[in-house]
Amino acid sequence: MRYAIAIGLLAALLAPLIAHSDSVLAIAIYAFMAASLAVSFNLIFGFTGQLSMFHAASFGVSAYIVTILVTTFGWNFWLAIAPALAVVLILSLIVGTICFRFKLKEFYFAVVTMAFSEVLRLIILNWNGMTNGSLGITVVDRPSLWTPIGNVAISGGVAWYYLTLALLVVVYVVCHGVLSSWIGRCLAAIRLNDQLGETLGIDVFKYKLLSFAIGSVLAGLVGAFYGFYSGFVEPHYLSIPLGLDIIAMVLLGGVGSLIGPVIGAFVLTALPHVIELSAELRIALYGSILVFVILVMPKGIVGLIGSKRNAA
Amino acid sequence: MLLDIRNLTKRFGGLTAVSNVSFGIERGEIIGIFGPNGSGKTTTLSLIAGILVPTDGSIVWKGKDISAVPPFEVAQHGLVKTFQNPQLFPELTVAQHMRIACHLHIKRALGFGRVWSLFGGMPAELNGTLTRKIDQMLELCRLADKRNEEAGALSYGGEKMLGVAMGMVCEPELLLLDEPASGLGHDEIMNLDAVLRDLRTHGVTLCIIDHKVGFLGRLADRSIALHHGAVIATGKTADVLANEAVIEAYLGKKHA
Repeated sequence: MRYAIAIGLLAALLAPLIAHSDSVLAIAIYAFMAASLAVSFNLIFGFTGQLSMFHAASFGVSAYIVTILVTTFGWNFWLAIAPALAVVLILSLIVGTICFRFKLKEFYFAVVTMAFSEVLRLIILNWNGMTNGSLGITVVDRPSLWTPIGNVAISGGVAWYYLTLALLVVVYVVCHGVLSSWIGRCLAAIRLNDQLGETLGIDVFKYKLLSFAIGSVLAGLVGAFYGFYSGFVEPHYLSIPLGLDIIAMVLLGGVGSLIGPVIGAFVLTALPHVIELSAELRIALYGSILVFVILVMPKGIVGLIGSKRNAA
Repeated sequence: MLLDIRNLTKRFGGLTAVSNVSFGIERGEIIGIFGPNGSGKTTTLSLIAGILVPTDGSIVWKGKDISAVPPFEVAQHGLVKTFQNPQLFPELTVAQHMRIACHLHIKRALGFGRVWSLFGGMPAELNGTLTRKIDQMLELCRLADKRNEEAGALSYGGEKMLGVAMGMVCEPELLLLDEPASGLGHDEIMNLDAVLRDLRTHGVTLCIIDHKVGFLGRLADRSIALHHGAVIATGKTADVLANEAVIEAYLGKKHA
């Protein structure tokens, strides 16, 4: 597995040398960002067992804050990321504290986080003066990177390709670090049997909150970049369908694995471009994939590869 | 006194599960709590372990009131409870169970230094200590040859022993065992008996509940008999077992 990931990363680093086409690069960029969202979501869902519907909200809130700070208040892009992540952190701590103090589990946790996420979407939708309501905000600025030869604007497919690849690597490494530490074992204990974990001295509330906060902040990090590539932010960024897309990617790729959501994100991002589909059909396809995966391959693509290897 | 329980009472709606129970536990002894089904044994243990909050009364651990402290904090204080029906982490192996149970050891050893181990990995020295400790405890609980097996594949008796082993890895001063012998065969009970005697030589205080009188009779220094949530007899195990009220509670008036 380790080698497969190393080869995949090497291939990703070299790919722009071969694939110059803007549309291929664009698919890869969106897939990297979707994969970052899916990997961070899987920390909360697949590894801690909490079905958060707040992920899209963390992503969207951060996207809005960075965009508004840069376009309305003229902040530097990189500086604007810090307050955006701080707000996401505080929001996730508030929502997490409420849910986990009341010991909301599974379906109840999903519904309550969904409600909080809708509240945030409605605030953004109706705060016309700041967010431009349902029309969203068009982003024309491009973040620039300081180099010895002066500030270079990050524009064009190749630059964004490497930037979002780096983003995915950062999210992946953070999640890997957390999961391979003692925290990862606490999260496994919570997912598999939180009552037993608690009697072994694990502060279930604290570690649930920690996982939820780390995952949400990472989603916020993705959100910070997203609007500047797509060129606009809109209330749809905080919507439930976006949250469901992330779940579909994780389920398709493999719930209990780190690399699974990356695979799932690539398949589901590339698929609509490979097969031309209308938006309605695309949602129907997502739904069918979800049903198929849950029924036939509960451990996703990664699980399928793993079981083939074990059988051989 | 290590643990001092005073006038412990627990009501569930109209039902009084534990009524005005008082007893103490001294360091190094093995205390037995027995009584027929529904006499409030498990409720008492759950109250001590913080899983339930008492309606009334107090639980004092080394001079500190812990009656409203959550279970994970009770475990940090050094009181660990095992479950009557073995609780496992599905999918994980025996060794992985033990590794999770090392949580408190890691916490005590590293403190806030744990945050650094996120970047540099766990100190090799600590890793070695944990591995040795896990091996030693699995050896003691007769699970050493099963360490890489999935815990769900263990026999019922094996699962119960794993519960004891996990509890011991938490380094408790007082281990609360909820019916460790129930559902075990004769050989497994003899094995459990030997394991618990071994534990005592390791300096652990044990509080064991069971409705199998024979098993506790051999092991416990002192016993408390419960019936309908109240203490009906307390003292040396042999005396408690010979107590008329206890025999009556178990067998009915005719046999007393």
